[in-house]
This record gives sequence, structure tokens and C-alpha cells, in this order.
Amino acid sequence: MATLDLQSIMKSFGTAQVLSGIDLAIRDREFVVFVGPSGCGKSTLLRIIAGLEASSSGRILIDGVDVSAAAPVDRGIAMVFQSYALYPHLSVFENIAFPLRVASLPEAEVKQKVGRAAEILQLTEKLGLKPGQLSGGQRQRVAIGRSIVRNPKVFLFDEPLSNLDAALRGEMRVELSALQRDLDATMVYVTHDQIEAMTMAHRIVVLNKGRIEQFGTPMELYHHPATRFVATFIGQPNMNLLPATVIGTAPEGLTVELHGGTRMTLPVDTETARSGDKVEVGVRPESLQLGSGVTMRLRVLERLGGTAIAYGQMPDGLKVCAALSGDTTVHEGEDVGLTFAPADAHVFDANGRVMRRRQAPALAA
Amino acid sequence: MIDRLTLLQKIGVYIATFFFLLFILMPFIEMIRVSLRPMSHLMTADFTWWSEDFSLQAYRDMWVTVPLLGRYIFNSIFVASSVTLITMIVVIPAAYAYARLEFPFKSLSLGGFLAVNMFTGAVLLIPLYRVLRTLSMLNTYWAMIIPGVAFLIPTGIWLLRSYLEKIPRDLEEAAYVDGASRLYTLRRVVLPLAAPGLIVVGTAVFIGAYAQQFLFAITFNNVREIQPLPAGLYEFIGYQDVTWNEMMAAALTGITPVMIVFLFLQKYLVAGLTAGAVKE
Repeated sequence: MATLDLQSIMKSFGTAQVLSGIDLAIRDREFVVFVGPSGCGKSTLLRIIAGLEASSSGRILIDGVDVSAAAPVDRGIAMVFQSYALYPHLSVFENIAFPLRVASLPEAEVKQKVGRAAEILQLTEKLGLKPGQLSGGQRQRVAIGRSIVRNPKVFLFDEPLSNLDAALRGEMRVELSALQRDLDATMVYVTHDQIEAMTMAHRIVVLNKGRIEQFGTPMELYHHPATRFVATFIGQPNMNLLPATVIGTAPEGLTVELHGGTRMTLPVDTETARSGDKVEVGVRPESLQLGSGVTMRLRVLERLGGTAIAYGQMPDGLKVCAALSGDTTVHEGEDVGLTFAPADAHVFDANGRVMRRRQAPALAA
Repeated sequence: MIDRLTLLQKIGVYIATFFFLLFILMPFIEMIRVSLRPMSHLMTADFTWWSEDFSLQAYRDMWVTVPLLGRYIFNSIFVASSVTLITMIVVIPAAYAYARLEFPFKSLSLGGFLAVNMFTGAVLLIPLYRVLRTLSMLNTYWAMIIPGVAFLIPTGIWLLRSYLEKIPRDLEEAAYVDGASRLYTLRRVVLPLAAPGLIVVGTAVFIGAYAQQFLFAITFNNVREIQPLPAGLYEFIGYQDVTWNEMMAAALTGITPVMIVFLFLQKYLVAGLTAGAVKE
């Protein structure tokens, strides 16, 4: 039960500005994921929330109380580390009990709390073992167990799944989502993996170069990326960006000419656009269909079963990726015509800002 | 590990090892040989690996020739152990601070420790003598313990610091997030994980203390009862002759208890010296 507010958090190491003015309001019981490329400042931001790192300026409020100067334990947070950070010389029981031992709780209470945590995480059988005898997924659960015994207000996760193999990662994603619901807790989760972000988050914070690019629900980011960066970061495979020139504006939207001469009128807000502007038209691979529009030479076709991912090159060398039907009959090496519905297009100006789409799917509240 | 050596290479390795060990162990072999032979035969006979006159007589006689021998052996171990204990009490927090905390003159002071190490005790004997006299510590155990501790602290800090640096920072941060203080973390997390390193450093300090006590003993102490073994061995040098066989027997007897302890610590020593070499 806690809200978490960040107010103009800045952080610099020497002359390097790592975070420049982060403002964020996280609601009670919300699962928020910080996502971004390595070096974007997401881990530093998490460590600042945890109290492991001091911000250069700004305030952190948990449940409305300023905790900027408080020690981690007094902030009411618990953190799960990427490396799990289990104590190899202590048993699973003592690892989970560690925060309770620090707080010198009576033995009976420790037993009861550790027992409950172990039950939730299905570790009851393993309490006597040392971390070295556990599998990766079990170690991860011990690390989570250590974080839940203290009933923290806010859980912080620092890339907790990046050391697991792909199958286990998928499993743990589901477990973590379920755990978040069961514990009714506020969680902040850092990852560089946009799939983890999309699947688990209530809302996603996309960070780039120490700034928040966008803060919104997964589908909001998918349908309405605010910037070119968010558009290419969210969605798998990545969005195609086709260079285009603005021909004019009309009540229905923006008329552009793509390389190769194709003209289209795209239903986006046009206030900022002027004739002759260079823009980029963003089209998701899954929005492309076979048809006449742009042409690409198909280089590689990956058949995944339900879909087939086609990688090709346009005559001017631009790489394009399209998600076609799994039964598509196109062949590698041939020229393929592709088309897309104007309503599916995103348009980015020269600064990478999006022109708002008018016909996008309604947003989830 | 896969054994990739050919037979010829193996033979080469064993021959090289043999000569290396011979070189290192020859003095010990000679000590044992001398200790087993009667005095009268020592100067006359040619070198032989084994001779008919070997006996343990010197090991019995030495207690008579030097009645305080047992006391000397005890003193040696007592002084070296005290030095090790006090050194470790000082070195552990210092090494942890150097491994984890940021403070002014950190690298400068570390370099200073290394520089201090370059002076041997011998260079500083006279100033040390004056200090100990001022503190009225001459002719006490302290006269041998305190200089020993002082000279071994820098080595200890250097050795233990590099070991502590290898303990993942995440573990300490996790403890910190859970509310543990620095000292609690040191006690519950860092030191148990550093145990092999502590044994390595403890052993190195003990050996250092054992080796250097001779110098401090003959300079700062002339009380027979608290003399350590290396100084006590002088009593085998008589006015007329030196009872070499008994002296060697006493020296060997003196190091036996220490050797036995090290034999048990061996597996920790190896583990400590190679820790961090392999990613776990």
C-alpha cells in the first residue's frame, strides 16, 4: 500500500549527467517497469529510489513522506538484485530470515514469517539447503522471499530475470505478475527487455539518455509512441522508418511522398508540418501486407509458423521488415510489393516527435 | 582437468620438480641428518644419506643441555600467536575500510604502508629500542609483540584488502537495504565469506611473526624466561663447542607443532590463494 513520487531527480557523476530531471508519480499497487537501452540511467534511478545512491538533487516521496534522506530500511522498500545477492554461507532459511535477524525479531516470529514466505514461493522443501544447491529459478525465488518477509511498501527489482534461460524467464514473468497481484504491492521493475516490460507492466517508463521519453500503459506506448525512440524500442520486430517528404496538409491529414514516389495521405495531426519538411513514416512490420506500394527485395524469410518475418531491402538500400502470414508463398530473392493502411502509419518530424494519430485504437484507461 | 602431457614431458616435469624440491628441502634434510647423529661423528664422516649411527639421542639430551627449552618453544608460539591475533584485530577493519570506503589520502596511505614495509626491522632497531625503553617495555613479552605487530600490519592490510575486494558488492548492498549496519554486515556476511582469505593472511602473519621474533628478542630482551626459541637456541653454543645435533633437534622440535597446524590448514590455504580465479 504505497505511492511513490519522484520530483525532479537529477544525478551526475562528475561532469557526466546520468539523470536529468526525472518526474514520476507511481500509483498505489501499480507495477511500473523502467525500460531503456543500457546506459540510459534506469538502474541508477532504481538505486536512488532504494537509497543505495544519493541523487544530486530532487525529492523522493513514499506515501507522501519525503524519504530522500532516509536509510533504505526506513523507506520501506525491499530490493531484488540482478545477481540475486544471496549469502552463499547461509541456508535458504537464514537468507530469507536475514532482514528479520537484523531487526532482532523473536525466533518464533522469524519462523512463522519465513515459513509463510517459503509457502508463497514454494520453497518449503528447500529451506535447509544452501543457495549453491539451488537452480537459477529457485535462487531467484529465495531473493524474492528475502524481500517479502519485511512487508515493504515498495518492491524494487533490478533486472531480476536476466540471468535465467529463456524458458525459465517466461515462467518467472508469469509468477512475478501473479505475485504482484497476490501481495497487492507497488512494484518498480528495471529491465532492458521490452518483452518483460510489455507483458508485466501496468505502466512503462521508457528512459533514454537520462530522460523519460514516455510514461504510459504498454498499449499506449505501442499505439501512440510519443517519440521515434519509443516507437522503435517498443514492438518486436522493430518498427520500420521510411523517409518521406511532406507535400501538403489536408483536412484528412498529412500528404507525404515516400522514396520511390508513392504518395499517401496519413490521418495525423498536422499543426506543426509544412510543405517540404523531411519526416519519417513509421510502419510496424505487422501492419505491412503484400500489395502494391513500396517494393523490397526479399533477402531472408523466417518462418515462425503462424507468421513469417520477411527481411528485405528497398531499391535505395533501406532495410525493411514485414510480418507476413505463415503460409505466405513469397520466396527469398524475389521482389515483393508491400502496402499498409494509412491509419496504421506513425509520422515523426525531424526532431523525432510524433504527429498524433487520429484513427488509432482507443486507449485502455 | 584433462591430462595432456606426453610421457616424456611428464618425466621432464618430475625431474625439474625433483631438483627444485631438493634445492628447497636440502637444508631441512641436512638438519634432520645432523640431529640424528652423535656429536663425535658429525665433523668426521663424509656425507651419506643414511648411516648406521642414526639415533634419537640428541632429542633426549637437548632437554638436559638447555633446561628451559620447553619454555622457549612455548614463548615462540605464544609471541607469534599474540602477534597474529593483535595484527588480525587491527588488519580486518582496516582492510575492509580500504576495500570499500572512500576517504582522503587512501591510495597515498596505502603506498605509505608499502614503503614502510621496505625498511626491515634491523634499520629501525635503535629508534625502536628508545621507544620501548621510554614505555618501560624492554624485557617483557610486549617488547617482542608490539614491534612484530607494527611491521606485519601493512602486509596484512595489502593481502586482505585484495581478498575483500573480490566479495561481490551486491551482497553488502543487499544487507544494507535490509537494514544491516556496516559492522553487522562485516560480521555476518563479509567475514564468513572471507574465511579462506583470513586463514591465508593469518598464516602469512604468523610465519612473519615467527621469523622476525629473533631480531626483536635478542635486541629488546635479555630475560631468559621469556626468550623465544630462535634466541634460546644460542644456549647450545657453549664455551668450548657447539652441540650442533641437539641444536638442530631443538629447532625441528620447535617448528613441529606449527607444521602440524599448517598441515590441517593446507586445504584452506590453497582455496584462499586461488579464490576468485575461477568464475563460480
